[in-house]
Amino acid sequence: MSGEAARDHEARVAGARVLGDGTALLAVECGAVADSATPGQFVMVRAGSCGDPFLGRPLAVAEASGGIFKLAFRVVGRGTELLAAKRQGDTLTVRGPLGRGFFDRAGDTPARVFLAGGGVGAVPLVFAARRLGFARIAGATAGISGAGWEGFADWLKEAMPKVDLHSDDGSVGKAGTALDGLPRSLPPGAEIWACGPVGMLRALAARFPNDGDRIRVSLESRMACGVGGCLGCAVPTASGNRRACTDGPVFAAGEVLWDELED
Amino acid sequence: MSSKTDLSIEVGGLKLASPVIIASGVWPQDAEFWSPGRLEGVGALCTKAVGLKPRAGNKGPRVHETPCGVLNSVGLQNTGMASFVKNYLPVARCAGRPFLVNLIMESEREVRESLAALRDVPDVPAVELNISCPNVEDDNMEWGLRPEGTALAVRIARSEWGGPLWVKLTPQSPYLAAAAKAAEDEGADAVVCGNTWLGMAMDIERRRPVFQRIVAGLSGPAVFPLALRTVWQVSGAVSIPVIGCGGVSCWRDAAAMLMAGASAVEVGAALFTDLELPRKIADGLSAWMAEQNIDGVSGLVGLGRR
Ligand SMILES: Cc1cc2nc3c(=O)[nH]c(=O)nc-3n(C[C@H](O)[C@H](O)[C@H](O)COP(=O)(O)OP(=O)(O)OC[C@H]3O[C@@H](n4cnc5c(N)ncnc54)[C@H](O)[C@@H]3O)c2cc1C
Ligand SMILES: Cc1cc2nc3c(=O)[nH]c(=O)nc-3n(C[C@H](O)[C@H](O)[C@H](O)COP(=O)(O)O)c2cc1C
Ligand code: FES
Repeated sequence: MSGEAARDHEARVAGARVLGDGTALLAVECGAVADSATPGQFVMVRAGSCGDPFLGRPLAVAEASGGIFKLAFRVVGRGTELLAAKRQGDTLTVRGPLGRGFFDRAGDTPARVFLAGGGVGAVPLVFAARRLGFARIAGATAGISGAGWEGFADWLKEAMPKVDLHSDDGSVGKAGTALDGLPRSLPPGAEIWACGPVGMLRALAARFPNDGDRIRVSLESRMACGVGGCLGCAVPTASGNRRACTDGPVFAAGEVLWDELED
Repeated sequence: MSSKTDLSIEVGGLKLASPVIIASGVWPQDAEFWSPGRLEGVGALCTKAVGLKPRAGNKGPRVHETPCGVLNSVGLQNTGMASFVKNYLPVARCAGRPFLVNLIMESEREVRESLAALRDVPDVPAVELNISCPNVEDDNMEWGLRPEGTALAVRIARSEWGGPLWVKLTPQSPYLAAAAKAAEDEGADAVVCGNTWLGMAMDIERRRPVFQRIVAGLSGPAVFPLALRTVWQVSGAVSIPVIGCGGVSCWRDAAAMLMAGASAVEVGAALFTDLELPRKIADGLSAWMAEQNIDGVSGLVGLGRR
């Protein structure tokens, strides 16, 4: 886990960009988060200081450098809608950096990593790709539903130039899912780092049943506090309920009880 | 700031440096969050609920946002008393302020065993008896609904626990004032008004309730006026201290609870949005009291009733 403890910060929007239909990118000025966040970590963001919407929204850190971190998200409800309306100079409340990311682990980072993102699950992998560096990326694959996601796809290609894009309807990249971009078997010493809908991650775990400890997945649970207090984000694992916000969001696929996890 | 008032107060057997208490089930158990540096403005903390045996808690979604509030169906997940004593108490003792063990009212045998375990270890400042959780199948809340149940629960706990005993009431009780009186008559040192409010949410896309147990407990700013009313009612019915709990999210809410008769407040869901809220409430209260020439929290307690 990163050394910096989670706190609440008032932060300023340094830049906002609409990525087309329902996807937005925010650059946020907040040294406390940007300087210590690692790939796979997230923040809880609130658009206003009043009580409604009440809870912060968990969003993965997409990039962080020079005191600024970026968020990329789909507008799916009120919270993300308010965030997408933010403009340069507006303020936000940010709790973070939160959770254990891809690099917060016992043992060394593997020599070769395949990255697989489903929908906005690709966001933390963009950050991971940057920190891994070109030489350690064995492959990067992403899947989106298709129509309506063009803006997000363009951002992804810009942020992760080698990404192998797939879409359900075949309108962007190849027809298929992120998993179609993965090798049939996992080469020795390599890992897969993945983030996306539960259904995708469950299918991934099922496809490599003997490599559970070499597949690391970032899970999107419902969260209220983000710091391990409310037990709202429980993930069923072989060692009992773990908290997605503090024990995760990155887990080894082999420890998650996939049949008990809600879609 | 020079214009600060001393906020210390003695409540239900505990000496608090501030009347702001962290409610049960919302604050991490991790050591980092129990270090004094994290607890500015906090007078005391309630632990997450603990029972004799481990409980896995509820399956499916556990939290759901509502207008100015949150529904939860965590279901008293805990690792059981033995693990609590071994792993959590050492952490709690580092807080540098009193804490209350939020004890689940289970069967008579279980509660007796749990309290015996707590009696056997040093430095457990107080127990908050939870007879009010709406999120479990074994009817924990049933104890709190009727005055007779409340009386029996407190009688059992009192006979095993000589230290400060607070009783956390349920706002679902139609006889709340009588239940509070029953707790007082059986020897409770304070009553907490109260736990979450029974509610539910519907997932209209999936055409089914959001929570697997259908019902869930509502808390956060949305319930503040309801909780304030219960504090007013109960304060009029008992002479032991009343602790206000429900929707407190700023120093004005805390001041209102105290004026209605509470001796202290517990803050829960509002911590989801601000980890430093206790300090802000304490600072706000103290500055305002100085301005109003109210010297001491006891001068504020019940001020609105006179
Ligand atoms: C660790 C973590 C990292 C995340 N990173 C990103 C990211 O980088 N980009 C991004 O676009 N989204 C991300 N999400 C999902 C994001 O948090 C939700 O989309 C967001 O909270 C929805 O808020 P809302 O108010 O707009 O929608 P709401 O009105 O709250 O909900 C609208 C819809 O979104 C679904 N939803 C709500 N909360 C969540 C959640 N926590 N997880 C999954 N679905 C949810 C609901 O089921 C509903 O269908 C992440 C979630 C987690 C837990
Ligand atoms: C996620 C969550 C978990 C809770 N767990 C407990 C618990 O274990 N024991 C308990 O007595 N109350 C529990 N509560 C209730 C709170 O302690 C508090 O009584 C209630 O939320 C009302 O206060 P608030 O509006 O300030 O949150 C929980 C509340 C929430 C939101
Ligand atoms: S979101 Fe509260 S414990 Fe994880």
